[in-house]
Amino acid sequence: MEKLVELRGIVKRFPGVVANDRVDFELRRGEVHALLGENGAGKTTLMNILYGLYKPDEGEIYVRGKRVELRSPRDAIRLGIGMVHQNFKLVESHTVLENIILGLREDGLRIDFEKHRRRIIELAERYGWRIDPMARVWQLSAGEKQQVELLKILYRGAEILILDEPTSVLTVQETRRLFEALRRMAREGKGIIFITHKLNEVMEVSDRVTVMRRGRVVITKETRETAKAELANYMIGRPIVFGQKKTSAQLGAVVLKVIGLKVLGDRGYPAVNGVSLEVRRGEILGIAGVSGNGQVELAEAIAGLRKPLSGRILLNGVDATGMDAGKMIELGVAYIPPEGNKLGVVPGFRVVDNLFLKAYRYPPYSNKFLLNWGKMLEKARELIEEFGIVTPSVLSRASALSGGNIQRLILARELSGIIGGIPRLIVAAYPTKGLDIGATEFVHDLLLRYKEMGSGIIFISEDLEELLLLSDRIAVISGGRIRGVLAREEADAEKIGLLMSEAVVQAG
Amino acid sequence: MSLRIETRFGRIRVERRIGYGRLYSISMTLLSLALAFLVVALILASLGLDPIKAFQVIFGVFMKPSLLLESIKQSIPICLAALGLSIAFKMNFWNIGAEGQIYMGMIASTGIVLLHAYYGFFHEWMVMPLMLLASFLLGGAWCLIPGALKARLGVNEILPTLMLNYVAILIVDFLVHGPWRDPKGYGFPLSIAFPEYTKLNIVLGEPAYTGLLLSILGAAAVFFLLEYTKPGFEIKVVGQSPAVARYAGIRVRSTILLGSFLAGGLAGIGGLSIVSGIIGRLRPGASPGYGYTAIIVAALAGLNPWVIVAVSIFFGGLITAGGALQMSMGIPKAAAQMIQAVIFLMILVGEFIKRYRIVVERRGASER
Amino acid sequence: MIEWIESVLGLTIQVGTVYLLASLGEIYAERSGVLNLGLEGIMVMGAALSFIFTLAYGHLAAILVSVVAGILMSLILAVMAVYMRLNQTVTGLALTMLGLGLSGFLASPEVRRVILLALNPLLPERLLAIQEAPKLPEIHVPLLSEIPIIGCFFRQNVLVYVSYIAAPLMWFMLFKTRPGLSLRSVGESPAAADAMGINVFRVRCVATMISGGFAGLAGAYLFLGFQPFWQEGLTAGKGFIALSLVILSTWNPLRAILGAYLFGGVEVIQYRLQLFGLGALSPYLLAMLPYLVAIVALVAVSIESVRKRIGVPASLGIPYSREE
Repeated sequence: MEKLVELRGIVKRFPGVVANDRVDFELRRGEVHALLGENGAGKTTLMNILYGLYKPDEGEIYVRGKRVELRSPRDAIRLGIGMVHQNFKLVESHTVLENIILGLREDGLRIDFEKHRRRIIELAERYGWRIDPMARVWQLSAGEKQQVELLKILYRGAEILILDEPTSVLTVQETRRLFEALRRMAREGKGIIFITHKLNEVMEVSDRVTVMRRGRVVITKETRETAKAELANYMIGRPIVFGQKKTSAQLGAVVLKVIGLKVLGDRGYPAVNGVSLEVRRGEILGIAGVSGNGQVELAEAIAGLRKPLSGRILLNGVDATGMDAGKMIELGVAYIPPEGNKLGVVPGFRVVDNLFLKAYRYPPYSNKFLLNWGKMLEKARELIEEFGIVTPSVLSRASALSGGNIQRLILARELSGIIGGIPRLIVAAYPTKGLDIGATEFVHDLLLRYKEMGSGIIFISEDLEELLLLSDRIAVISGGRIRGVLAREEADAEKIGLLMSEAVVQAG
Repeated sequence: MSLRIETRFGRIRVERRIGYGRLYSISMTLLSLALAFLVVALILASLGLDPIKAFQVIFGVFMKPSLLLESIKQSIPICLAALGLSIAFKMNFWNIGAEGQIYMGMIASTGIVLLHAYYGFFHEWMVMPLMLLASFLLGGAWCLIPGALKARLGVNEILPTLMLNYVAILIVDFLVHGPWRDPKGYGFPLSIAFPEYTKLNIVLGEPAYTGLLLSILGAAAVFFLLEYTKPGFEIKVVGQSPAVARYAGIRVRSTILLGSFLAGGLAGIGGLSIVSGIIGRLRPGASPGYGYTAIIVAALAGLNPWVIVAVSIFFGGLITAGGALQMSMGIPKAAAQMIQAVIFLMILVGEFIKRYRIVVERRGASER
Repeated sequence: MIEWIESVLGLTIQVGTVYLLASLGEIYAERSGVLNLGLEGIMVMGAALSFIFTLAYGHLAAILVSVVAGILMSLILAVMAVYMRLNQTVTGLALTMLGLGLSGFLASPEVRRVILLALNPLLPERLLAIQEAPKLPEIHVPLLSEIPIIGCFFRQNVLVYVSYIAAPLMWFMLFKTRPGLSLRSVGESPAAADAMGINVFRVRCVATMISGGFAGLAGAYLFLGFQPFWQEGLTAGKGFIALSLVILSTWNPLRAILGAYLFGGVEVIQYRLQLFGLGALSPYLLAMLPYLVAIVALVAVSIESVRKRIGVPASLGIPYSREE
C-alpha cells in the first residue's frame, strides 16, 4: 500500500515543553488513520507541522515518497494536503460558493458563478451531501459548515485530509454522515488523518489508530486488533496514583442547584445543553471532560457572565438565574476563569489594582466614594505573602508577572475573602493549567482549605489524576451534557474515560 | 505577531518589544518631536522660507514675558479640554467632539451673562460661579448625547461626536447672527462685551494667571478622580476591557455615561475660558480648533493630567507663534495647524518604534 | 414647474456627487477593514491642490494631481494603520489635521504665489492673486440631455459622468469578481482569507489607497465642479458626512448613490428654504441638517445591523495579526 505521508523523527519544541518528541507517523493511501490522545498530547502540533503552519526542529517529512519542506500552508495545499481545523475559518456572511472559491486563481477577473455552482453540487453529491452553494454560511448548521470546510479542500484536489476534532460540534446524524463521506473518500484512494479523543469514533471509522501521550507516540495499531478499554489505557497511561487527600469536611446544605440549564456558546449553538447538578457546602464536585464541551460556558453562567437560555440556577435556595456578575459576587460566588481567558487579569494595571478588581467597592477598602489605598496596599502586601506571588512590588504592572504568578494573583483576588468573606461557592475552571508542581500543590491545598471552611467548590479540570485527588464526586461532561456522576469511591480512569467519549446516548 | 519580509539571505522581521522603561519612552517621544521639527523645517525650506528664523520665532514665544503670558492664556481651553479627553480616552471613549463641547460651554456662559445683563437675573457675584456651572453642564450634556448612544445603542462614538461639533458651531453662528447679536455692535455678529466681573481675572487681574489656576485645579480634580475615587477606578477598568469590567461587577453603561459627561463638562469649562478670558464676548469661530489640538495634547502627554498642563502651554505657544510667524515672516497662520499635525503624526510613528523593533534574521533554524 | 424640478434635481446631483465620489472609495477601504478617518483632510487637500494646479496648468492636471495626492496621503494611513497596526481612528484624525493644516498653508495667498510661480513662471499677476479658479464646464450629452427632467442627469460636468460610471463599476468589481471577493473576505474574516493564502496587508493597503484617490477626486470636484472659490472651511465636514454615508449605504456602491443624492437633496432643500426667505429659520439652523441627518442615519443603522448580521464588515477598525 502506497505511503501518502511519512513523518520521521519529528521533534518540535516550544518554550518550556517538547510538544513532539521524536514522532514517527505514516498515512497509507485509502486509509482513515485516527490520531488519539488527550489535550496537550501533541496531536495538533504534529498536524500543524504537516500542514506547513509550523516548522519542525528536527525530523523529515515525506509526501508520496519524496522528501519535502513545507514553508507555509500554500506549499501544503499545492502538495494536495488539506486541513480542517476545529475552529472553522469561514466567512460567515458570505455564501458557500464564495467561501469555497476564495483565493482560487483559475478564473480570470470575473467569477463564473454558474460553473462553480455546478461543480460544487457535483462534488457534494459525490459524498452524499446536499448543499446549496448560494446559501449564506451563517445560516448553516455546524455539520453543514464542516461540509463547506471539507469542500474547500476537496475542491482544490486534496488527497491528504487532516481533520482536527471534527465531531466536537456535530450531532449523531451529522457524525454518521461525516463518517460515510470519509469512508467514501478513503475508497477513492484519499488518505485521512482524524484527530480525536473519542474512543467510540476511533473504533467506528478508523482503519488504524496512533495513540500519543505527552508528545510521544505510544503505539500504532490496526483498529480491528484493539478495543476501547485498551486504547483508554494507552491514552491515559498506567499507573495512575489514585490517592485522595484526606479532609475533615462535613457536607452541609446544598449551596448550588442547577436545573436543566441551557447556555449558548459563542458560535451560536447551545454549549450547555441541559445540565443539572448539585453542590453542597464543604463538597468538591469535580467536572471531568475534554475542554470545549461546555465547561467554561457552564461556569460563566453560574458566575453571572453568561445569560442562560433556559433552566434555573439556585444559590442557597435563591433563584439567581440570569443575574449579572455583580449580584453573583454579592451572593458569594467566586469565579476563577481559565488561563489565557481575557478575564483573568488586566495587564496594564498594577498588581494591587488587579487584586482589588472586585473588592474595591467593599469597606474597608473604600467608602461611599473614595478609595482607601492605604488599606488596599497593606492588604495587598499580605496577600502576595500569603499566596506566594512573586513580584518586585505591589505596584508593578501585572504584565510583568509570569503565568504561575498571574494564577496566584487571581486566586488571591477571588478566594482571600477580601470580597466580603469566605465565598459560598467557588467555581474554578482549569485552575492549575500551566502551573508547575509547586504551584499546583499550592492551589490544591488552598481549595481543600476552603472546602474545610465550608465553601462548595466546582472544580473543572482535564487532568484525571487531579480530579480523583480532590473531588468528592465527579461529574463527566461531554457535548454540553452530564453523562454521569460518580462518587469518588466508585470512580476510576476507565469509567471516566468511557463516559467522556460517549456520543449522544439517546437520539437528539 | 510579526510582519515578515523574506529575502534570499534571511528575513527581516518586525516583532513586539517586550517591556520598555520610562526613560526609553520619554527619549522616544523627544525623538519624535525632533523628527517633527525636521519635517517642518524641510517644508519651510522647500518654499524658500528660512526654517532657522522660524524656529527662533517659535521658541522666542516662550522667552518674552508678554508672549509667554499670551501662550498661557491660549493654553487654558486646550488644557481643560485635554483634561476632559484624558478621562474619555482612559475609558476608551473616542471623544472627537471636544471642539463642539467647548462651543456649548461658550454658549452656556454667554447665556448666563445675557440673562444677567438683559434681564437683571443674579447678583453680580453670582454670575461667575453660575457661568462655571452652566458651561460644565451644557458641555457635559453635549458629550452625553453620543455617550448615551454608545451606552444604550452601541453606536460608535467617533462620528456622532464629530457631527455634533459642526452642529455646535452652527448654533453659535445662529445665536450670534440672530438673537444674541449686540444691538450696538454695528451689525457685526458679536455678542455684547462681557462685563468686567465676568471676566477671568480673579488672580492679579490677569486672565492668564486665573486660567492657569483653573488648569491646575482641573488637573488636580482629574488626577484625584482617576486615582482616588471609585468611579475613576471603574472608568479605567471599562477602558481596559468592558468584559473584565462586567466580570468585576461594574455597571458598564452608567460608567460610560458618567465618563462622557465629565469629559464634555471639562471641555465646556474650556469654552468659558475663551469667552471670559480670551475674547471677552461670543463670536463665530471663537475657537480656532482648540478641541482638536486638545486631542494631540492628550495623546502627547500620555493622558497624564500634570503633563497635559505643561504640554498645553507648549501648544498654546505654538498658536501664539503662529501669529508671530505671520507678522514677522509672512507665514500664513495655517502653518501652526500644519505643525501641530506633523507633530501628531511623528508621535504616532514614535509609538510604533516604541512598541516594535526590527530584527534581522539569517536563514537557519527558525520557526516559520 | 418642470424647470423647477429639473433645477432642483440637477442641483441635487451636483451636490450629491461630492458625497458619492468620497464614499465610493471609502466603501472599498471599509470593506477591507480599514476606517479612513483622514477622508476630510484628503478631500480638502484635493480641493487646495486642484485650485493651485488649475491656475498653473488647467483642469486635467489639477484632477490628476488631486487623485495622486490622495493616494499618497492615504498611503501614510495604510502604512501606519495596516502595517504598523496603530490605532486607525487616531491615525486618520492626524491625517485629517495634516490635510487641513497643509491645505490652508499651501493655498494661503503668500505660499500659493510661491508655488504657482515655481510651477509656471509665466503666470500673469492676476492669476497669482486670484481667489478662484475656472469652473469645470458642463458637458451636454447629445440627445439625452434634451429629455425633460431626466435630461438634467446629462447636463453635468465630466466628473459627475465619472461618478455615474464609477458606481456601478465598483459594485461589479466588489461583488462579481475575484479580487472583489478577496477584498470582502479580508474585511469580514481576515483569518479565513489568510488561511486561503490571501495577503491581508496588501489588500488593505490597496483598498486604503483607493479610498484616498477617490477622496482626492471628491475634493477636486468640490472645488472645480461646484464652487471654485477658495475659502477656509471649504469642506465643512463633508468628508466625515461621507463616512456616515458609507454606513448608511451598508457598504454597497449602488445604495451609496441613493444616499449621496439624499444628502445632496438635504443641502439643496437648505438652500431653497433660504431663498424662499424663510427668514425665521436662520440659514445656520438649516445648515445643521446634513449633520443631524448623518447622526440619525448612524443610529438607525446601528439598530438595524445588529439584527441584520450582514452589515458591518466584521473586522472594521481592528488591525490584523496572525495568531501564532
